Amino acid sequence: MMRAVFLATLIACSGLGAATAGAQTLDARRLGMGGVLTSDVGDHQGSNIAFRAVPKGAAGSGSIPLPLGLIQYLSDHPTYDSKDSLFNVFEIANVFLNPPLTIQIVKPNVVEGDISVFVAQDSLRVDLADVKNVIPKNSMKQGGVYHIGGIGKSFGRAFFQVGPLIHLRNELTLSDELRKALRDAVPFTGNTRYGLTDEGRAQAAISFQAGYALRVLHQPSEGEKDSNDPRRNGVTALYVGGAPKYLIGIAYGSAESSGGVTTGDTLFAGSNPVTIDELTETRTSGVGGHGGLGTGFGSDVGAVFYFRNFELGLGLNDFGSQIKWKTTVRRHVYDDATNAFTTIQVAQDEEFTSRIPVTTTINVAKRIGRTTIAADVVDGDLRTMMHAGAEFWFGMIALRSGIYRDQNQMMQFTGGGGYRFGKIGLDLAIATNSRNIERERGAELSASLSLY
Amino acid sequence: MRRLIPFLLALPLLVGCGNRNLILTVDILSFVDPSMRSEAYGPIPSGFPNDTIEVFSDSLNLLQGVGDVTRVASASLDVAASFDNTSGAATGDFLIYFAAADSADPFTTTPIADIPFQLLAGQITNVSTHVDASPALAEVLTHDRAKVGLRVIFNGTAFPIQGTETLTKLTATVILKKDL
Repeated sequence: MMRAVFLATLIACSGLGAATAGAQTLDARRLGMGGVLTSDVGDHQGSNIAFRAVPKGAAGSGSIPLPLGLIQYLSDHPTYDSKDSLFNVFEIANVFLNPPLTIQIVKPNVVEGDISVFVAQDSLRVDLADVKNVIPKNSMKQGGVYHIGGIGKSFGRAFFQVGPLIHLRNELTLSDELRKALRDAVPFTGNTRYGLTDEGRAQAAISFQAGYALRVLHQPSEGEKDSNDPRRNGVTALYVGGAPKYLIGIAYGSAESSGGVTTGDTLFAGSNPVTIDELTETRTSGVGGHGGLGTGFGSDVGAVFYFRNFELGLGLNDFGSQIKWKTTVRRHVYDDATNAFTTIQVAQDEEFTSRIPVTTTINVAKRIGRTTIAADVVDGDLRTMMHAGAEFWFGMIALRSGIYRDQNQMMQFTGGGGYRFGKIGLDLAIATNSRNIERERGAELSASLSLY
Repeated sequence: MRRLIPFLLALPLLVGCGNRNLILTVDILSFVDPSMRSEAYGPIPSGFPNDTIEVFSDSLNLLQGVGDVTRVASASLDVAASFDNTSGAATGDFLIYFAAADSADPFTTTPIADIPFQLLAGQITNVSTHVDASPALAEVLTHDRAKVGLRVIFNGTAFPIQGTETLTKLTATVILKKDL
């Protein structure tokens, strides 16, 4: 039972990460518009390779975040001293889930409250108070595909870039019985299995990518005399782009685990009242171990179509991306009778092909004069997010508003404004979010500079 | 099996790192063998105005593993018993003892609770008490293990005294704070 409780503790602690952070948008202009993405708003990560071929418009070409939240954090941050009476691990977790780069206007309620446990020989009830909110109703998913840094060079319509690619994914699922016991304080019962499954995967690679984006369709319009911006000159145009990539796999690891405890007739009776089961299968490869480097190919492709100042874009990143490895497979089984793990090597140098999940971005936008109305859907490995927003310019002043559905399936609301000083603009945005372990709505103030 | 209870407490303790309390309520009676919850007394004849029965003495390990990361802020105890007195009459005391596990006999310590009662022939008498914020109980529960004992002392006024005593409630409530 001690081991069982330890297992349960791990499960509960895993719940700390249930509230996945999701992307924190530091571009105040984009955030004010609900985090929406268009060919000239917020596409600094290359969500659609075809955007590279679209002429830059008057709406800005980049942004510089102003991390004002750091000032707030330095003046008011959680204690990291576990002996301090104010120490709260949930507050610390929120620092990581919601990095203090923006000013927190409305902070979610701190997880607190007394925890109650009732124990009898055949009864156990755990009331975690508001910690219950940490345990999600469904499986806990974390991860994503990260293209971090890298260097590149453009040659007209062509470009070349090298950079790291990291894919992380973890999904922890509690059995209904365990979830109800922890989240809903349903009493533990006899002859019941309280289990969980966990699927984790991590892979890292270096991506060597060359790409080309161009206009393939063009029907002139009267507006082209005044501007070459297809977003606003009424032209009909189609831009496409493609960028194959060669991937050198650095490391791969995956683990699929299933474990649980099964109670006996009476919860607390006898010397061994529960049966523990646990099975984990791991698959690994990487530099410095068996298997060595992996190799693979992938691509980013995209297209964006303009018609009478209407924009429709489709971007597929890591389309068909996969890496071949020579992996070692091991199976770890827990034996309840001996209270020990047994590890069996199932295979060595077994060929295995891993996938980099595709990220699909569909965006629509309509420009009417200096007004932009836009929406997008971003479908990734773990979640689908939707954004919609609008921007209105009055002279040098911009007003923005938007909504989006976040990683916790909650609707969030944003608004903001900006002022343009020649080639630079100052943008501010206020937005709600649920990037915290409690999944409660908070609000933040973001600031950034726009480059025009 | 009782040694296993406290490890469940690690769950909320670890999850609940923060300025909070862990309120642990343990139905101690449920862990006592049903045959030990009742004790027949008597017949106590005249000439023995004072008599004592020991209902039970048992070892409990309620806080094992928790003591390392917690401290007992306070502890309370709810006790109830029923006397089905078939004959005779008496006053008396119903005594609850908690002692450290290494003590040879819990009855050598000062009782945590002393509940006076009065018994009449042919009547069922229910007694109960709430022992609040007992430092002695908190001290015992700070340790990994504890012993508990129940004793009944009769002061007879009519004889023979005979009946059955049944322990109906023995619940400890402990408020713990983290001490990481």
